[in-house]
Amino acid sequence: MDSSVCQAYEDEIQALEEEIRLLTEKYEDIQQESTFFSDEEILKSLKSFQRETQGETRGHESPSDLKAQLESLETDLSFLMKFTGFQFTSHSKKTVEKTRNRTVQKHRLSGKCHSLSFQLEFQLLETEDKEKVSTVVTDLSIIMESREDSDVSKFVSRTEEHGNLLAFFRSLSTYAEWYEHRRRTFLHFK
Amino acid sequence: GVLAHLEMLEARAHQEAVEQEEKEQREERLAFLKARVQELRLQRDELRDKLDRQEKAQLGKEGIVSDPALPSPRAVLEWKIRSLRGLLQVFQLTGFSGKLSRRGLRFSLRTSYEGSYLDSFHLELLLRPEFRIRRHSVPAFIPLEQLARKFLPSDLRSFLNVLSQHLNGFVGRRHQAEQLQEQFSEWLQGAPRGNSLCNLLTFRYSIPGKSQNSRNFPFRARLLYGDPCRSLPTEVAVSCSPDAPAPLAEAAAAHSELFRSLALPRAFRSL
Repeated sequence: MDSSVCQAYEDEIQALEEEIRLLTEKYEDIQQESTFFSDEEILKSLKSFQRETQGETRGHESPSDLKAQLESLETDLSFLMKFTGFQFTSHSKKTVEKTRNRTVQKHRLSGKCHSLSFQLEFQLLETEDKEKVSTVVTDLSIIMESREDSDVSKFVSRTEEHGNLLAFFRSLSTYAEWYEHRRRTFLHFK
Repeated sequence: GVLAHLEMLEARAHQEAVEQEEKEQREERLAFLKARVQELRLQRDELRDKLDRQEKAQLGKEGIVSDPALPSPRAVLEWKIRSLRGLLQVFQLTGFSGKLSRRGLRFSLRTSYEGSYLDSFHLELLLRPEFRIRRHSVPAFIPLEQLARKFLPSDLRSFLNVLSQHLNGFVGRRHQAEQLQEQFSEWLQGAPRGNSLCNLLTFRYSIPGKSQNSRNFPFRARLLYGDPCRSLPTEVAVSCSPDAPAPLAEAAAAHSELFRSLALPRAFRSL
């Protein structure tokens, strides 16, 4: 009857809206993940953006909003890097899978903690179940220069085996601070 | 008579008018829905094509792909903003994230067990007029005050590191008990019993299919986690009911060793 046809249309509308949302996000993710702009390009864009949109703010965020957002994010990051000792020199991620309640992203991260460098690759699986979002790390692979050092090699293999990315960062942080302290102490006595 | 007849005709005409209006409303709604479906299908198909073209463009060029049309300055800035947000998310994966404001410091400590990220705990520290903890979501059985007295205000980093170890130890133990309950419920008699800090755990279990009648749970385990920062126990006692056959008693000793060295769910999987 009419009402079941109506219902069928309504169900399809809901499904299509969901699919459109996912496809749009996927497109934007891929755009984001496959482009790169250098710091000079960012600065150039900031200048020309402010010139261009002087006075024209209808419907978009004003240049000062974007600039303010950028500055606020950079301040937050700078604080975190100084406080934790972690400096990330490069980060790339690729969305491998994205459905309504499951997202898989592949990350490549390199950086250093104080003077110890590392390179990581891992997959991050986020699933949404009811309202709980769960985040799980799989396929963790860690490369560290100082892996011959037995202490480093121990916590690297242990955390790599269980995919415990957080424990790797925590252990690295503790070790790097100790290492840095020792290095400075020796320099002092030279 | 005539009046009654006229009334009847009037009522019928009214009824027909109402039905006609309802019919028109239904048809209008149907037409609207049909048009909407077609509009959305078109939008969806266009998006699919857009993604296809994007994929082909990616495969065609090696390395960095840039839009054939030069991106607008706004687009470049928005890219940078999203990129920085991505880095902030990475910091969350390291277990620590925080923000400095005029009033003070806000920290988020994340916990994890093996590959799973678990609870986050928050801490807000005031710097003025004096250094103190303003708000936090740390459970009462974690010795927050003690740690604060020991490390603050001179060594904030150690304070946070040790606090993080306590929190990770607690959440790791709790997670193991939950996973054990979830994955091995038929092996256990009821639910494992523990305290809120999850550093004392007791349960009775059996190994299904291994000789004895599994409705009788012959093994009794008691795990004590003496180090609050660790998620493996420092003392394990596995006992058997006194009338149990000898092989079971031997097994109990082996289990004891196992529980001391492996996470509970993993230990059970190897039984």
